[in-house]
Amino acid sequence: MTLSAYLPIWPLSVSPALWLALALVIAVLVGEGLVRYLRLPRIVGYVGIGMLLGPAGLNMIPVLPAAEWRLLIDLALGILLFELGSKVNLRWLKANPWIAGTSLLEAAATFFAVFGLLLWFDVAHVTAAVVAAIAIATSPAIVVRTVTESRARGQVTERLLLMTALNCIYAIICHKLAVAFMHDEAGTSLIHTVLQPLYLISGSALLGGLFGSAFNFIHRHMGQHEETFSFLLFGMIAIATIVASTLKLSPMLVLLAAGLITRYQREHPRTFLPHFGSAGAILVVLMFTANGLAANLDGLRDSMLLVLLLILVRAIAKLLPVLVLARYSGISLHQAIALGIALVPMSSLTLLLTLDTAVVFPAFASGLGLVLMSCIVILELAGPILVQMALRGAGETLEAPWRRKV
Amino acid sequence: MSLMPFASSRPLSIGVELELQLLNCNDYDLISSAPDMLRRIATQAHHGEIKPEMTRSMIEINTSVQHEYGALVEELRSLRNTVADAGRFLNIAVAGGGTHPFQHWSEQKIFDAPRFHYLSELYGYLAKQFTIFGQHVHIGCPGPDEALHLLHMLSRYVPHFIALSATSPFVQGHDTGFASARLNSVFSFPLSGRAPFVLNWEDFERFFGKMTDTGVVESMKDFYWDIRPKPEFGTIEVRVCDTPLTVEIAAAIACYIQAMARYIMVERPGEPQEDDYLVYTFNRFQACRFGLEGVFIDPRTHEQRSLREDIADMLLRIADHAVELRAEEAMERIREILAKGNGASWLRQTYAHEHNLSDMMQQQAKLWMNG
Repeated sequence: MTLSAYLPIWPLSVSPALWLALALVIAVLVGEGLVRYLRLPRIVGYVGIGMLLGPAGLNMIPVLPAAEWRLLIDLALGILLFELGSKVNLRWLKANPWIAGTSLLEAAATFFAVFGLLLWFDVAHVTAAVVAAIAIATSPAIVVRTVTESRARGQVTERLLLMTALNCIYAIICHKLAVAFMHDEAGTSLIHTVLQPLYLISGSALLGGLFGSAFNFIHRHMGQHEETFSFLLFGMIAIATIVASTLKLSPMLVLLAAGLITRYQREHPRTFLPHFGSAGAILVVLMFTANGLAANLDGLRDSMLLVLLLILVRAIAKLLPVLVLARYSGISLHQAIALGIALVPMSSLTLLLTLDTAVVFPAFASGLGLVLMSCIVILELAGPILVQMALRGAGETLEAPWRRKV
Repeated sequence: MSLMPFASSRPLSIGVELELQLLNCNDYDLISSAPDMLRRIATQAHHGEIKPEMTRSMIEINTSVQHEYGALVEELRSLRNTVADAGRFLNIAVAGGGTHPFQHWSEQKIFDAPRFHYLSELYGYLAKQFTIFGQHVHIGCPGPDEALHLLHMLSRYVPHFIALSATSPFVQGHDTGFASARLNSVFSFPLSGRAPFVLNWEDFERFFGKMTDTGVVESMKDFYWDIRPKPEFGTIEVRVCDTPLTVEIAAAIACYIQAMARYIMVERPGEPQEDDYLVYTFNRFQACRFGLEGVFIDPRTHEQRSLREDIADMLLRIADHAVELRAEEAMERIREILAKGNGASWLRQTYAHEHNLSDMMQQQAKLWMNG
């Protein structure tokens, strides 16, 4: 027997998983530090550390294998989308149609503003439409996470959740349509532009409804046992994701619809643990760190002006309609500013839509896809801070320390 | 600051103030949305007055000066509809009830107005603890001395008003065993309790002058008495009731007090005495703790009976006055409470059925908003 049989050989060969684990520990510690000393949201730390240590930064951690990364994001985003849906009361739209109006106007303004900007930069119509469709969505991950973390409640918070759920739906449907056009620029007939969203919406609603019934069933019978409940839920989310992909539906839309339908059908008020338990919370932290690792700022180097203009134009297009309709929908100008700002973040959902497009169209991946990726990086870092500032400014967070007299 | 002269008001006119709870529709906890509600309501034409209260999860509705049950209940319904519509528009539920069953006082936010900030500084956590919801009933008096006479005569019946209106059994997530736990929060204020035994207005002005000289009070608003004179309205204000679960019950209780006031003013059944107050806090405690089942000791005869019996007896005595005031329907509702139980028992039954305070609150809000 030799020494090398039981002693490690120098230089040590370490599994890359160690670096990921290390990044995770550092990310969580930094996140806590941000909350404690700078009163910033934890997610900034998760994303920031991922970026810093990943390929976009110090390059200490290699890129994650795509399949594993995708599974993680699908699961975590699935949880967050379902959670978002289950917090939102669609009946409110009937009692206050001005909110529906604001939502539609905000989405339309975003689409056309971004579309116009891209045409001005000589981007092809279909490509511009794909990017504009993606730009409609506010990040459900950042919104849900920041609202949970700051324990915010009130008109701005509730409208933010509702309008985010709605604009994610618009974005997913418009994106599917735009991609279909891209596939077959000349040949797509009118009938398909009607049938496709119809199939998407009804298919997602049906699958979402099934999911919702199953969820209510397991919550009723196993809701008391947090671990069993969350494992069943994650299993169901994985199943829903796979079934949705097989049926060419959008898994994201299915899970969002599932949340909305469970809430719509529920007669009694129910609250769930944040992210349905600590297992969900861990997945969410992992997702944000992984997003940071996947950060790509190449677009900022090549077309900085477009990236910055896109962010600016999109932000204005979201803010203005909210301001204009504020009085009719029953919020103050102050609250409207907060709401408009809070609608700005971009993150995982946008990232997945961008990547899905890039897989099919390599030209998109090396062109506008990179521009979008840069926007995502910036708005994923700034987004949580904007949402937190907005909700604090509206006086809806529970900490509200600026009012505290020492 | 000296006391305002006692304004004249039509005898036996009534006015009702109700403090209401604002709830979010997800878990029916309190929500600090009074500014949103008031902004929305300001754009709608409505009766009476709708005002902010100490913390931002409360809102207050006030009727104008009324004279009889029919018009009073109509105005209250219209006020309720205004508030309920604003609530639906903003996804906020509105409910009656004296306490919120599981709110946390430290999460309440003080409404942004100088007086509320001043009170919050002075009373500290008591101010946030004061997120409780009461019904105040004003009774018009022909003059100041008559007001003080009525005030001290009505004091005997304060336990009636408490037991009939009691709707606050749950506090901080638990059944307190009290029918009205809300009043326990009121009693922690230094100037709560009963008004001093003073029967003419000059003496009352002298008392008030001495109190302001000590620097303890600035205006009548600083007294948290069970019944207090309101000189600028020319009324006395009964402040012991919890906000009932429906506006109809609120109107009925107001008219029960009105009919009793007529009985006292017209029949003059004896003069008030200092000794009437010997059993005052005992009787009041019994009403808070046990509601209609509480023991009532008559201060004059020392006879003991249940509050339910004493109220039933009173209903007979004031029946003619109720007819004069066209308040028969109100008396019918009071009899119904005696038979079926007060709001506190409705809440306990609902909780026993739902097993969940959020669900109970949802039912409570539904009852209030839909009538």
